Amino acid sequence: MNDKIGIYICECGPNIADKVDIEKIIQSISQMEDFQDKELIIKQHKLLCSVDGKKFLEEEINTNELTHMVCAACSPRDHDSTFIGVCKKTNLNPYMYQMINIREHCAWVIHDKEKATQKAIRMIHAGMDRVLYQQPLEEKQLDSNPDVLIIGGGIAGMETALSLASKKRKVFIVEKEARLGGKSAILKELLPRQGVNLNILHQKVSDVKGNDNITVFTNTELDSVVGFLGNFEIVLKNNQAENQTTELLAGAVVIANGFDLIDPGTLEKFHYTEEDEVYTAKQIEEMLSENGRISKRNGDIPKSIALVHCVGRPEVGYCSKTCCNYLLKISKMIRDQSSDIEIIDLYKHYCLPHKEDQNFYNAQKSKGIEFIQITDLKLKGNELEIIEISGKKRIVKADLVILAPAMIPAEGSGKLAELLKIEQNYTGFFQEAHLKIDPISTNTDGVFVVGTAHGPCGISESIIQAQAASGKILTQLIPGQKIIPEVMVSEILEAYCTGCQTCLQVCSYGAIYFDEDKGISVVNEAICRGCGNCVGSCPSGSIRTRHFTNPQLFQEVKEALR
Amino acid sequence: MNTSNNVLIIGSGVSGMEACIMLSKAGKKITLVEKLSLIGGKTIKNEETYPNMDCSTCLVAPIQQEILQDPNIDVLTLSTVEEVQGKSGNFKVKINKKARYVDLIACLGCGMCYPPCPVSLKNEWEENLIDKKAIYVPCSGALPNVPVIDAALCLKLNGSEECNKCAEACMFGAINFSETDQIIELNVGAILIATGYDMLDAGKLQNLGYGKFSGVYTSMEFERLFAANGPTEGKLVLRNLESIPQSIAIIHCVGRDLVGYCSNICCTASAKHAHFLHHKLPDANIYNFYTDICLPDKTYQKFHEDVKSHSSEYIYQKDREKMKIQETDNKLQISYLNNEGKDAAITVDMVILENALQPSRGTDQLAEALGVELDQFGFVEAQTFHIGSVVTSKNGIFVAGCIEGPKDIQNSVLQAEAAVAGIISSLDQ
Ligand SMILES: Cc1cc2nc3c(=O)[nH]c(=O)nc-3n(C[C@H](O)[C@H](O)[C@H](O)COP(=O)(O)OP(=O)(O)OC[C@H]3O[C@@H](n4cnc5c(N)ncnc54)[C@H](O)[C@@H]3O)c2cc1C
Ligand SMILES: Cc1cc2nc3c(=O)[nH]c(=O)nc-3n(C[C@H](O)[C@H](O)[C@H](O)COP(=O)(O)OP(=O)(O)OC[C@H]3O[C@@H](n4cnc5c(N)ncnc54)[C@H](O)[C@@H]3O)c2cc1C
Ligand code: SF4
Ligand code: SF4
Ligand code: SF4
Ligand code: SF4
Ligand code: SF4
Repeated sequence: MNDKIGIYICECGPNIADKVDIEKIIQSISQMEDFQDKELIIKQHKLLCSVDGKKFLEEEINTNELTHMVCAACSPRDHDSTFIGVCKKTNLNPYMYQMINIREHCAWVIHDKEKATQKAIRMIHAGMDRVLYQQPLEEKQLDSNPDVLIIGGGIAGMETALSLASKKRKVFIVEKEARLGGKSAILKELLPRQGVNLNILHQKVSDVKGNDNITVFTNTELDSVVGFLGNFEIVLKNNQAENQTTELLAGAVVIANGFDLIDPGTLEKFHYTEEDEVYTAKQIEEMLSENGRISKRNGDIPKSIALVHCVGRPEVGYCSKTCCNYLLKISKMIRDQSSDIEIIDLYKHYCLPHKEDQNFYNAQKSKGIEFIQITDLKLKGNELEIIEISGKKRIVKADLVILAPAMIPAEGSGKLAELLKIEQNYTGFFQEAHLKIDPISTNTDGVFVVGTAHGPCGISESIIQAQAASGKILTQLIPGQKIIPEVMVSEILEAYCTGCQTCLQVCSYGAIYFDEDKGISVVNEAICRGCGNCVGSCPSGSIRTRHFTNPQLFQEVKEALR
Repeated sequence: MNTSNNVLIIGSGVSGMEACIMLSKAGKKITLVEKLSLIGGKTIKNEETYPNMDCSTCLVAPIQQEILQDPNIDVLTLSTVEEVQGKSGNFKVKINKKARYVDLIACLGCGMCYPPCPVSLKNEWEENLIDKKAIYVPCSGALPNVPVIDAALCLKLNGSEECNKCAEACMFGAINFSETDQIIELNVGAILIATGYDMLDAGKLQNLGYGKFSGVYTSMEFERLFAANGPTEGKLVLRNLESIPQSIAIIHCVGRDLVGYCSNICCTASAKHAHFLHHKLPDANIYNFYTDICLPDKTYQKFHEDVKSHSSEYIYQKDREKMKIQETDNKLQISYLNNEGKDAAITVDMVILENALQPSRGTDQLAEALGVELDQFGFVEAQTFHIGSVVTSKNGIFVAGCIEGPKDIQNSVLQAEAAVAGIISSLDQ
C-alpha cells in the first residue's frame, strides 16, 4: 500500500490563523522535496476539535484511505485524546497519527508572524517525518483475578478484608502471629472521640472469622510473589512448619503489616533497668487491660506518675502522631483510677491534629494534670533531668514513668518491599505511588499499603486507609473486566541483549526479569510503564520503547533542527 | 427509575475529583456540582505543595482535564444543591445552575473579551489582591478555561443597551446574554459531600491588625502573592508600598483558640511559606512564631527541619492571646511573651497569619438541604460508631476531605477513596 499522509491545519479561529500564515505553510509543505514521492493531502479547517471538525477529519480519513495523519493545532493536552478518538472510529490506527502544537509553540509565543510561520513549517515537517516511522500498535486485553491477599491481620488488614468481603470479594489474610487483632487488641480503651469502648474492635475479629469470603492464615508469612495487577501468583509459608506452603492466586495485594515500637533502652538519653519503675505506654495498656489499674512492681499504687512524650523522635526523625493523644488517654485512665495520683506530663510539642483533640486536651487540663513544656530530657531510672522551655534545668522525680516510644516500621518490612518490588521511604515505612494524589497505591500496580505500615497513625486513620484501598480495588479490579496494559512499553531485542542485567537495576517497576535459559533480559509488558529508563541504560542499545523508538525520535529531531 | 448507577458529588477539590475519577472507572455516572466557575478547589491556589514542593498545577491539571473530558462525568459549574428528597438508592436532587453567559463549547478561552469590558471589580478568587473585569476567568490556567460574566455588575445585563463590548470582541459568538439560571433535577443513588474549607476571617483577631495594617496578610493571600499566575505574577511586593519585604513574621495558630481546634495543616504550610520566602528573598529575615509544632506525617518533620536550618528562625511565644501587632513608620511591631514569659518585641515589614480552617461557607444551608448533621464546629459529622468514617448521619450520603475536618491533600484524597468504597457498597444494595 502506498503512503497517503493527511495533514490538517487548524485555524483555531483567529488564534492560529491570525498569527501564522497558513497558506504559506500549506504551500511550503506541499513542495517538500523529501515528500515528492508521497501522496499528501493538506487542508485547513476553522476548528478541528468542534463537532464539525471531528466529522471532517473522520470523512477525510475514510474517503482518502489515509495511512498516516498529522494534525497541526493546539496542545496535545487539550485535544490529543479528541483526535485519537476520531482515529478509533476509522480504520486508521491511532498510533499512525501525530499532533503538532503550532498554537502554544508558535502562534501564542512568537510575535513575528514570519518567524512563527517558519517554526510551524519545521515542526510540521518534523511530525511528517516522524509519523512515517510510526507503527500501528494494538491494545491487549488480559484476564484478571478479582481476589485479594492481605498481609497483616491488625485493624487495618481486618477492615480492608471486611470492606472487600461485603462486596463479595474473596479475601485471604496472612497473619504471622497466632491471632488476629494486631496491637490495638491490647489496648484498655480508645480515645473519647472514638467512643472509648473497644468492643467494636473485638467485634471485627469475630466478623472476620465468621465471614465466608475471608480465609485467614495465622502463623503464616508471605514466601514469594510474582505477577502483576490482576495476576499475582503467591506462595505462603507457615512459620511453625517450614515446609508447609500454600499457593494462591490474587489480583491485588494489600500490605497491612503495622508497626513496631522503638526500644527506649537503646536510646542515648534513656537509662533504666528492668527493676526501675519505667514502662512503655504499651506495657501500661497491657497492665490496665489485665489488672484494671496501674501499680508498681511490688503492687503499690504510685503517688506520682510522669508521662514522657516523643521518646526516640529525634532519632527516627518524624512525629508518631498518636502518642500525644494516647498519653492524654492514659492520664485520663489514671484519673479514673484515682484523683490523688500526681500526673506530670512532659512534652515538647502537643500534637493534636484531629478537630476533636483540643477538647480532650482541655478536658484533661482541667483535671489537675501538670503539663510542662520542655526542650530536652534525660532519664535515669525514675529521675528525669529536664530543660524547661524557659531554659531552666531541673530534676523531676516520679514513682512511675511512662514512655511513649516512637513507632517504627514493622520488622520484616524490608523483605516485603523486596518481594513486592515496592519502595520504602527514608523512614523505612512504605512509599506511596504519589504522596499527595495517590497515597494508598505503590509503584507496583495492584499493591497497596494501609494503616501504620504506611506511617504512624491511629485506628481511625487506619480504617479510612483500609476503606481507601478497598475503594481502589473495587474500582480497578472488577470481576470479568479485562485489564488493558500500557501499549507504549519497552521491548528487549533478543539478538542484541548481552545479558548484562543493567536494565534490571534501573527499572523502578520491577518490569524486567532475567531469563536464565536464554541468558537475556526480558520485559514483562503487563508491568512496564514505558518510562524509557532502561532504554538509556542498556550498553548494547538493545531496548526500545514502542512509539518512542530511536528512529522515530531521531527523525523528528533531525527535521526540527535542519 | 433506576438511579443505582448515578452519584452526585458536591465540590470539586482534590477529594471530589478523586472520587469522580474512581467512580467513573467503575462505570458509574457522576454529576459533579461546583459552586465556582472553575474546578480544582483550593489546591490550585497553591503554586507548590509541601513537603516535596510538587507543582500543584502538574498534580491537579491532568485530573481536571480528565474530568472535563470524561463522558461519564457531567460537570455543573456555578451550581449549588438546593433541595434533596428521598433516601439512599433514590435521592431526588434539585440543583440551581447559575448562568455563565458564555457557551462552554463555543468558547476557546482566548481571552479577547476581557480587555474591552469597562467594569472593574475585586477578584475574590485572588483574595481581592487584584481587580477583574465583569467578564473574567478567576486566574490564568483556570479549567474549564471559559470566562463567566458577573451578572451583578455587567452593564448589559443591568439594562445598558450600549455595552456589548465583550460580545463584539468574541470571534466565536460564544457570549450569550440571554442565558438564564436553571433548575436541574436529578435522581441519584448516593451523594458525596466534598465541599472543603474556607479560612477564618483573620479580622476577628483584633490584636493582630489584619485589615488595619496593609503589611498583614493571611496565608491564602500569601499563597496567591507567591503564585506565578497570581496578582503580581509571583513577585513578592507589599500591598501598598510596592516595596519588597526584608523581614517577615509568620504567625501560627491564628484563631485556634477561637475555633477550638488545631487546623492540622498550618505548621507545615508555614514551613512552606518560609521556604517560599527564603527562595525568592534569600537575604530576608524570616521568623516563625509558634507554641506547639504539629507535623502529622512521616515526611513533615524532615521538611520542617530543613526550613528551620536554612530559611527561618523559630520563636516560641508563651501565650497566643498576648501577642499584639502595631504599625509604626510603615513597620509592624510584634510584641509577645517569650519563652521565659517576659515581654519581647520584634519589628518586621510583613506578617503572614496562618489562620484557622473552617467549614466552607454555606455548609449550614447545604446540610439542611441534605438533612445531614454537623458537629459542634460546623463540619459535617462522620459517624463515630464507625470510628474512622466517611458515613454521615444520613444513609447514602458520604463525606470526604476538609469539610469533615481540616487535613492535608493526601488525607483528603484518602478519605475520598474510602468514601468511594462506601458509595459502591451502598449503590449495589
Ligand atoms: C500504647 C498505644 C496506645 C494506642 N492507643 C490508641 C488509641 O487509643 N486510639 C487509636 O486510634 N490508636 C491508638 N494507638 C495506635 C494503634 O495501636 C494503631 O493505630 C493500630 O494498631 C494500627 O493498626 P495496624 O493494623 O496498622 O497495625 P498493627 O496493629 O501493628 O497490626 C499489624 C498486624 O500485622 C501482623 N504482621 C506484621 N508483619 C507481618 C508479616 N510480615 N506477615 C504477616 N503478618 C504480619 C502483625 O502481627 C499484626 O497482627 C495506640 C498505640 C500504642 C502503641
Ligand atoms: C494556605 C494553605 C496552604 C496549603 N498548602 C498545602 C500543601 O502544600 N500541601 C497539602 O497537602 N495541603 C495543603 N493545604 C491543605 C489543602 O488545601 C487541602 O487539604 C485540600 O484543598 C482539601 O481538599 P478538599 O477537596 O477537601 O477541599 P477544597 O480544596 O476546599 O475544595 C472544595 C470545593 O468545593 C467547592 N464548594 C464549596 N462549597 C460548595 C457548595 N456548597 N456547593 C458546591 N461546591 C462547593 C469549593 O468551591 C471547592 O472547589 C493548604 C491549605 C492552606 C489553607
Ligand atoms: S504525637 Fe508526635 S509530638 Fe506527640 S508524643 Fe508522639 S511524636 Fe511526640
Ligand atoms: S520502560 Fe521503564 S518500566 Fe518499562 S521496563 Fe524499562 S525501565 Fe521498566
Ligand atoms: S468568550 Fe469568546 S473572546 Fe472570550 S475567551 Fe471565549 S472565545 Fe475568547
Ligand atoms: S457586556 Fe460590557 S459590561 Fe458586560 S461583560 Fe461585556 S463588556 Fe463587560
Ligand atoms: S497545625 Fe500548627 S499552626 Fe496550625 S493550628 Fe495546629 S499547631 Fe497551630
